[in-house]
Amino acid sequence: MKRVLMAAVMLGASMPVFATAPGGPGCGWGNMLFEGQSGLPIHLVATIVNGTSGNKTFGMTSGTNGCSTSGALAYDGESMLAMNGMVEEVAQDMATGEGDALTALSVSMGIAEQDRARFQQVMHENFATVFPSDDVTAADVMNNIVTVMKQDRELATYVG
Amino acid sequence: MPYFLGVLLLTLAAVVRAEPAAALSELADHPRWQALLHINLGGTLRDRGNSYVDDTDFFLAENGKTDARAELVASRKALQQKDSDQRCHFPARYRFLAEQLNWNEEQPLSHCDEYREWRENMPTGQMVLVFPAAYLNSPSSMFGHTLLRLDEKPDPDSKWLSKAINFGAQVDQGDNSLFYVWKGLAGGYPGRFSVVAYAQKIREYAHLENRDMWEYALDLEPRELDWVVRHLWELRDINFDYFFFDENCSYRLLELVQVARPRARLMTELRFAELPVKTVRALRDADLITERRYQPSKAAELEHLAGRLGPAEKDLAQRLRDNPDVADSETFQAFPPERRHLMAQTAYQARRFENREGQREEDQAGKSFALLRVIQRNPAPETGSVPEPEPPESGHRTQMVRLGGGLDEDRAFGELGWRLTYHDVLDPITGFLPGAGIEGLDLRLRSTDSGPLKLEQLDLVHIRSLSPRDAFVKPVSWYVHAGWERARADGRRHPTRFLEAGPGLAWRTGGVMPYGFAIARAEHASPWTPLIETGAGAELGLLYQQPGLQADLSARGVYFENDFRRHRFRARVTLPLSQNQALRGVCERNGWRGGERDECRLEYRHYYD
Repeated sequence: MKRVLMAAVMLGASMPVFATAPGGPGCGWGNMLFEGQSGLPIHLVATIVNGTSGNKTFGMTSGTNGCSTSGALAYDGESMLAMNGMVEEVAQDMATGEGDALTALSVSMGIAEQDRARFQQVMHENFATVFPSDDVTAADVMNNIVTVMKQDRELATYVG
Repeated sequence: MPYFLGVLLLTLAAVVRAEPAAALSELADHPRWQALLHINLGGTLRDRGNSYVDDTDFFLAENGKTDARAELVASRKALQQKDSDQRCHFPARYRFLAEQLNWNEEQPLSHCDEYREWRENMPTGQMVLVFPAAYLNSPSSMFGHTLLRLDEKPDPDSKWLSKAINFGAQVDQGDNSLFYVWKGLAGGYPGRFSVVAYAQKIREYAHLENRDMWEYALDLEPRELDWVVRHLWELRDINFDYFFFDENCSYRLLELVQVARPRARLMTELRFAELPVKTVRALRDADLITERRYQPSKAAELEHLAGRLGPAEKDLAQRLRDNPDVADSETFQAFPPERRHLMAQTAYQARRFENREGQREEDQAGKSFALLRVIQRNPAPETGSVPEPEPPESGHRTQMVRLGGGLDEDRAFGELGWRLTYHDVLDPITGFLPGAGIEGLDLRLRSTDSGPLKLEQLDLVHIRSLSPRDAFVKPVSWYVHAGWERARADGRRHPTRFLEAGPGLAWRTGGVMPYGFAIARAEHASPWTPLIETGAGAELGLLYQQPGLQADLSARGVYFENDFRRHRFRARVTLPLSQNQALRGVCERNGWRGGERDECRLEYRHYYD
């Protein structure tokens, strides 16, 4: 009985870390396991018990989360949308009508400061056109944004 | 005039070529050179006077790790030649040598295409220290992580487009947990710098892990930041040893600030057990912080939104979360558009919160999408921003000494104690996450009339996570506690080694948090004949945490396999006297099969470091 209990504790202790060590050696999300865990040995136990790493299933396929010290990301709108999870952020902001992700998108598309409010408003109003269904890809979204902008007199200049 | 300049340069070059040994030694002692080589100036005990870098690729001299002067000589030799490849590897060293030795070349790095392309995309308008704070149900996150952010300009249009500089260990996927802990402590994993899009960090911390993020803008000029960016290039794929204790993410980031401003002298004092909050304080004390900003987590936003709903609206939002078709119901449509928007926002955020770590499922995506349509159809009301909590650096310090005394029945005792780290649920709450406690190495010594100072208790680890449940979030609380204590194993107190842990539930009602834990315990004490005795039990309690006062009331019982049992009723109060001082009173009744004893004690707690 005692042995079983201890074994359960040990097993319980070893599994979460094992399960949450994504990423390969060398690059990327593997190092995330250590983030938020600097400092003392004690919190390691907490980590083991709780399995804190927040990157369980995200980011495994995206090409933008490696430790690319040299890989500067080109900041046009499309590559920003291609970042893992960014479509979701932008969708929420567009539905609401404002938000940091939507602002970032407009900045990365080179939209001047005085036109950003207009951009946000047009995107909000045309939410259904930009996001026609729940399984759009980043490329679809980008195409739809461009289409919507072309139909707007002020924004058309940016996608001419 | 150009002729005169040329002569001057030639003269200078001749002077340098003559290699005045004293001048070179002086240059090797230059704070900037020491910073660029990551020389240990006394910040940690290992390798004092040597470089922290653990990678031969970083050094041009064979003994470069241990001899800053030899590295200087080798660097000068390698970087002096035009079109030298090494210039492309060491642009910061080049800038240092060129400035110090007056190498005046136009376009000295013109042949370094890869570097120049990368450099062009690195903003140097402003540097910000980012501290993702503790998060729900993970007290270990109180230790936190820090990273640096580079912005295009102060107050950027969008920080989503900024760059994040991160230092992290490179973990082997196959390592099991025990190996992982040991390697982490012993420096078995290499640590590396990386530069990634800051947008990814916002998603990871604020959205996936639900951590509030604190941003501290640093008082560094673009010219100073150019040093950091050049140096980051030098650190590409370069390994440091990573130690959890001291040479961790926060420590390395301080070194980068040191590269930007060598005279800041942030690293000369011993920095044992480096914690992010200490990093923030070190930068604050060096007058390097110009502004602090708060970015709420998604969980904080959800709480803020839900707080604006009435009971009927909350109920409706909950139903909407599970079934977006509720939006078409008459009950829902009866509310004005602004209220409908709020309910739909809350429902959507709650869905995201629940599914933040899950895989995308068709059903999930469809429901979330339907909710977004509801949000979009109903205009947004002014929601106001999430109220800013007290910042982490306003909290009490990390180590603690205490002095106290009390009565065990009618016998007086005195007590001394020390705790390495960090916070229990009854310590002053300002700047800390409510309901979270994490303690490591907590020592209590007791002296009585009849005897000298004796060990009363030694906690190795004590972690508590009380996460209140509400309509939208249903976390499971938990705790783990291991150490050495004097416990009743028969009629007498015996030295006992123990490990106990359990899941629990907690709620919030007004300012009070009721909670309950299940307890599983294994212990070793001399009267027990099998070496280890196991038991199970429960604890129920009430916790109250306000800046002016923290208190709790609890009752617990544990029943052992050999039919022994213990129970305890306890009341505790902490009264903060200042940021780093507090008084604590504890009264408890300890019972066991065969007896009961009452004990009260009062102690003064002083937090430091």
